Amino acid sequence: MPNDVIIEARNLTKVYRDFWGRQKVRALKALDIEVRRGEVFGLLGPNGSGKTTTIKLILGLLFPTSGQVLCFGRDATDVTKNERIGYLPEESYLYKFLSAEETLDFYGRLFKMSRRLRRQRTSELIEQVGLTHAKKRQLREYSKGMTRRIGLAQALINDPELILLDEPTTGLDPLGIRDMKEMILDLRRRGKTIVMCSHRLDDVEDVCDRIAILYEGELKELGRVDSLLKVRDVTEIHASGLSEKAQREITQLIQREGGEVISVGNPTTTLERLFLDIIAESKAHPGRRVRGVKES
Amino acid sequence: MILETELPAFHEWIAWAPLLWLAVVGGVAVLGLLFGSLVAVVRHGPVAGLEITGKVLLSSVWDLFNMLPRSLRWLNWLVNKGALPYRVLAVVMLFIVFLGLAFVILDRETPLSLPLIVICSVAVAVVFLVIFFMFVCLVCEFLCMSPRRLGALAWLAVKDSLRRRVLIVFILFLLLLLFAGWFLDPGNEHPLRLYIGFVLTATSYLVLLLMLFLSALSLPTDLKNKTLHTVVTKPVRPSEIVLGRMLGFIALGTLLLVVMGAISYIFVVRGLNHTHDVLPGSLKAVAPGDDPAKGDVPLKGTSSMANGHRHNVLLGPTGNGRLEMAQDHFHRVVAKQEGDKTRYEVGPPEGLRIARVPVYGKLRFIDSQRHEADKGTNVGDEWTYRSYIEGGSLAAGVWSFEGVTPQAFSDQLQLEMTLGVFRTYKGDINKGIPGVLLLRNPKSGLTVETKIFESREFSTDVHRFPRKLTPMTAYVLRREEDAEGKVKYVRDELPGAMKSRYDLFDDLTDDGRVEVWLQCLDAMQFFGTAQPDLYLRAQDASFALNFAKGYFGIWMQMVLVVSFGVMFSTFLTGPIAMIATVGTLVLGFFRDYMVELALGKTYGGGPVESFIRLLTQDNVVSDLPAGIRTTVAHSVDAVLEKAIGAMAQVLPPFGRFECPDYVAHGFNVPADWIAERGLTALGFAVALFVVGYFFMKTREVAR
Repeated sequence: MPNDVIIEARNLTKVYRDFWGRQKVRALKALDIEVRRGEVFGLLGPNGSGKTTTIKLILGLLFPTSGQVLCFGRDATDVTKNERIGYLPEESYLYKFLSAEETLDFYGRLFKMSRRLRRQRTSELIEQVGLTHAKKRQLREYSKGMTRRIGLAQALINDPELILLDEPTTGLDPLGIRDMKEMILDLRRRGKTIVMCSHRLDDVEDVCDRIAILYEGELKELGRVDSLLKVRDVTEIHASGLSEKAQREITQLIQREGGEVISVGNPTTTLERLFLDIIAESKAHPGRRVRGVKES
Repeated sequence: MILETELPAFHEWIAWAPLLWLAVVGGVAVLGLLFGSLVAVVRHGPVAGLEITGKVLLSSVWDLFNMLPRSLRWLNWLVNKGALPYRVLAVVMLFIVFLGLAFVILDRETPLSLPLIVICSVAVAVVFLVIFFMFVCLVCEFLCMSPRRLGALAWLAVKDSLRRRVLIVFILFLLLLLFAGWFLDPGNEHPLRLYIGFVLTATSYLVLLLMLFLSALSLPTDLKNKTLHTVVTKPVRPSEIVLGRMLGFIALGTLLLVVMGAISYIFVVRGLNHTHDVLPGSLKAVAPGDDPAKGDVPLKGTSSMANGHRHNVLLGPTGNGRLEMAQDHFHRVVAKQEGDKTRYEVGPPEGLRIARVPVYGKLRFIDSQRHEADKGTNVGDEWTYRSYIEGGSLAAGVWSFEGVTPQAFSDQLQLEMTLGVFRTYKGDINKGIPGVLLLRNPKSGLTVETKIFESREFSTDVHRFPRKLTPMTAYVLRREEDAEGKVKYVRDELPGAMKSRYDLFDDLTDDGRVEVWLQCLDAMQFFGTAQPDLYLRAQDASFALNFAKGYFGIWMQMVLVVSFGVMFSTFLTGPIAMIATVGTLVLGFFRDYMVELALGKTYGGGPVESFIRLLTQDNVVSDLPAGIRTTVAHSVDAVLEKAIGAMAQVLPPFGRFECPDYVAHGFNVPADWIAERGLTALGFAVALFVVGYFFMKTREVAR
């Protein structure tokens, strides 16, 4: 159903130019992605691979050099789409002279929200991100973790359908990271669509349904996390109640077919392994889509 | 002091000002749009570049349609891609309408040849089309704006500014006032001018500098800290970001000005307030034979020193009287008998804090044969501001006044004048030159010679005409026009006998119109006058209100500074935006000179010609030698002058918003002045908002 596509990028290209219009960096090269309703979509890649550029193009903070991004079927430069979007920037770019309450109230006023609804959402969100004890303090006094939390709260002030998270776990301690991940999963359970970008593989592995791996502005891999991580040339069989004979026969069958039994099972690799493989492959053969694995 | 008196009446001004504004803003907008498209085409290629421009123009229309209630959504086809042929058709039809209009107007109003008219019509139609689209987009943008979001953004700007220690400026202002006593000389001849000049200057410098910093640095700081990213990813329109900031800073500036104005007013009032004692020892009888000890005789003496001055005391036989004028004011004295001693109570200063309402007339001259002339005699004065009236002849300067009614002037006509005197021989230098004032009814021609006076140079002479005038002589001056249109005045005798009293309003005015004729009586001496030198003084306006008007002038300047600062900061970095704002405002001070230059009214020709004169050390008055060099210089100058003229129209007339001269010299700031300047400032603010909006809209926030 076309309605289920929340974000649609077609041939999206971004070239950074200097003052005189000379090309400096080709940050994104002909990106094609679709994000569907209700999924957690991860953009993965090393620093400078075009993750943040993609998010900024989706938000209309940058204009594409060519190609198009549609968000809820509207052009990315259309501000009315923002009614349904929440955005947590890389670092929480918030006004340090406001308190947590004032911050949420200010961002709430930018939406069509009544004063009563604003108050209600503000106190709910402050409690949800665990800042009740510090809601009257100016943000300049906040620690990095607290700033991150209030950043997330402002992204959720309008109860958005689509949430864009730019490096959501940077600057958080292990406990904070766990809370953040739980919050993301909770949002997914509530039917929200989430696009997050990160270079932290474990984050992506834990929460994302689908990922796109970018390297130097090119899409290298796109698919469901579970299918991407499946090692297809290794088979893993877990069985119980097999007789000695049956086990022998299976081993013989494998040997007859030229296989070698390592252990019987069907393991998964780690995302880290996959990621490093892709990077190595890309360096060896620049410009080639690595495995051509389409989502199953 | 020369006050600007050639102020056009508001209703005359409003007839052409909006058109001029539209032409200037429209021209700038079209140029800006063309320039913007060119940049976009260069940077993004022809197709993408034009697409960006189109998107910028049309997106607000699109947004407006999105906001329509569902029942009206069918209108969406108008802006949908599917309706492209219809849209093209609409644009073509609109273009044809504009083309037709332009053709008809150019054909009727200009003597151009047909091909030229066609070319010009096409150009005009294109410009009209662009302006039309921009206008439609702006209207849509205005309709899409939300007061709630504007309020939130303005509130943020105020809060941000308060954080940037606005209070420090305020404390600085208070400190300045506290120590003002050290450097404000209390013995000044015109203390009001000194005080008003000081408070208005101090306030305007502090507030304008502060607003310059705040407005020019605010957006760039937000962009640098990326705090703007979080804001623009909410449903906030670029126009709201620009306007919200402007409104926030204007609100803050207004608040500052109101508080500073109130404090300044108290400072001026208290600083000027003082009283004196009558020194009893100094009192002497005015008439030499009288004995002051007997009482009931007029006395004169001096007062004690206060605020760096003392007054001459003049007391009547009852003991009441006044301290005579000094430093622009006087005090009333009331005598109180306490036992056998007389105590003199001196009142507060009067006549100091006033707002005179001058009614200016139109000046024309009559030569010695009673022919009407544009100018009087030229006495070779190097300053041609004043024209001269020949003494001992029929020559006169005539001021025609309007609106002279009993309501505006109560029961007397007060006339104030400042005359320049040109003496062809020295005579008695301590004595003034005699002159006479005549009042003439412009309809009946009845002319009454009222009083002979002695000129006092360099000071304002006050003459009061009571409602019932006793004439010295009266006659009829009949206006005659000959075949060539020359006007002459002929003296006729009165139809009846001369009345002993003439009524000022019944006999000498016609529907509020009256003429005042000024003649010089001493042969070979001249009176020099200019239009503002003689005015009628209506009932005074409130000084406090006039003071507020002075602050309104600063307020308008503040609005301009904020508008320019915010506009420049939408596409320049903070320090550059500040320099650009200051640069524009400084250029704005030279606006009138630039207009003069563009109109060829200055000596020495245009830029190239003056440069040649500079190199050749040629004087500025004589013509350059004819030749190819001069021709080339003149041709280049002609183009440059047009460019300078166009630029001058876009610059804000910054200096014109200042009115401390009015307030400090005790003149009421005219309502027309307020209305015209206010609208001009508003016009600039709106235009700058539009420019800022387009810049904000076309920029990538995350760059």
